[in-house]
Amino acid sequence: MKVKVWGARGSIPTPGPDTMRYGGNTSCVEVTLSDGTIVVLDAGTGIRTMGLALGVVDRPVTILLTHLHLDHIQGLMFFAPCFHPDSEIVIWGPPANDAPLRDRIARYISAPLSPVEVRELPCRVSFCEVQANEWQIGPATVHAHAVSHRGPTLGYRVEDGDATLAYIPDHEPALGAAIETLEDEWISGLELARGADLLIHDAQYTDAEYPDHLGWGHSSLSDALAFGARAQAARMLLFHHEPLHDDATLDALGAEARRRWQVLGGDPQQVAMAQEGMELVVSGRRRRDAPAAAPPPRAA
Amino acid sequence: MSGRPLQLILARNLLSSLSTPALLADVEGNVLFFNDPAGSMLGRRYEETGKMLAADWTATFGPFDDDGQPIAFSDLPLTAALRGTRPAHAGFRIRSATGVEHEIEASALPIVGDSGFHGAMVVFWTVGEDPLEPAP
Repeated sequence: MKVKVWGARGSIPTPGPDTMRYGGNTSCVEVTLSDGTIVVLDAGTGIRTMGLALGVVDRPVTILLTHLHLDHIQGLMFFAPCFHPDSEIVIWGPPANDAPLRDRIARYISAPLSPVEVRELPCRVSFCEVQANEWQIGPATVHAHAVSHRGPTLGYRVEDGDATLAYIPDHEPALGAAIETLEDEWISGLELARGADLLIHDAQYTDAEYPDHLGWGHSSLSDALAFGARAQAARMLLFHHEPLHDDATLDALGAEARRRWQVLGGDPQQVAMAQEGMELVVSGRRRRDAPAAAPPPRAA
Repeated sequence: MSGRPLQLILARNLLSSLSTPALLADVEGNVLFFNDPAGSMLGRRYEETGKMLAADWTATFGPFDDDGQPIAFSDLPLTAALRGTRPAHAGFRIRSATGVEHEIEASALPIVGDSGFHGAMVVFWTVGEDPLEPAP
């Protein structure tokens, strides 16, 4: 399983010279399964450049939306395959009581916010609400569960062969209770992340910033690391960067994360701040622990 | 995948931050969690008891009517919330682990999420002047 980060920013795109290295595009991660099936995790603005790179694809593209906050769907309208008549796109997302997934997405892809309507998209697009906790996409088993964030929000776990990826980009597992004080079954999202070879997880705030954002649905650095350690994730990418954090700030947070990950018993080379363009190979622990192991996260 | 439904997780986190005694039950009436104010009233902390089966809970704490007779499980507000998926309220007595009786009123609210009915939360208040529990 291969993973490429196309957008790691949270909340709002942040283009500019101060965010060049980590990138300003919002949440989008491309996953290429072992048979070549492409699964896209969220459709933030990063999906635009991903779509341009993808070109015309001869197999369905599956998009797994964690939730419908704008920073996770904003790129959909600019995803090139949406405008190819030969493209087939399947969009999965969380159910909600108020309206079907298609109608909720159409609130964005419709006037006055958009010049096109969902029904006008030339591609073959279908919308699927995640009703089961587990289903198959190509060779992968996908698990989805509601996680602690504002509004209906899912986290995903993708298992392909012996490789496991967990993706929980917007998550506040420590809301109301410290992770350290809770039994496993009471920690939001823990089963999705348990033993993952790669965990991509929210770390929007510094510990100093978090108290002013309690209940906003995001994690502090400490809580993200505590969650990853509790889940015994082999590798961790810290994700959904706060728009106010420039490259220098993220460099400092990355260094802090590596130091603390080591204190928690992890290999400091296996935790990193997600960076636009970053590519990783996710393989099962046995293979990764072998001498010819996959390299630690690195910028492409 | 055996984690609790998110609605129960959030309910527990809410209860753990309340100053009002409260508990959380699953669909079978087993007590999954009770907060520290409830623990003070019951003379046992959740950390001591952990999850309690419904039968163990009623055997330990009651509830009882004014004559000290056990109240049928079917008459409890928690049961109404669990069986009818509707809020319910009632007054009764409970007995703490140290033998102190408390007259309380309890409100039970069912917890229903997108994936169905998950249990209920019960908040309870003492009526009148509450006897003090001995210090632990």
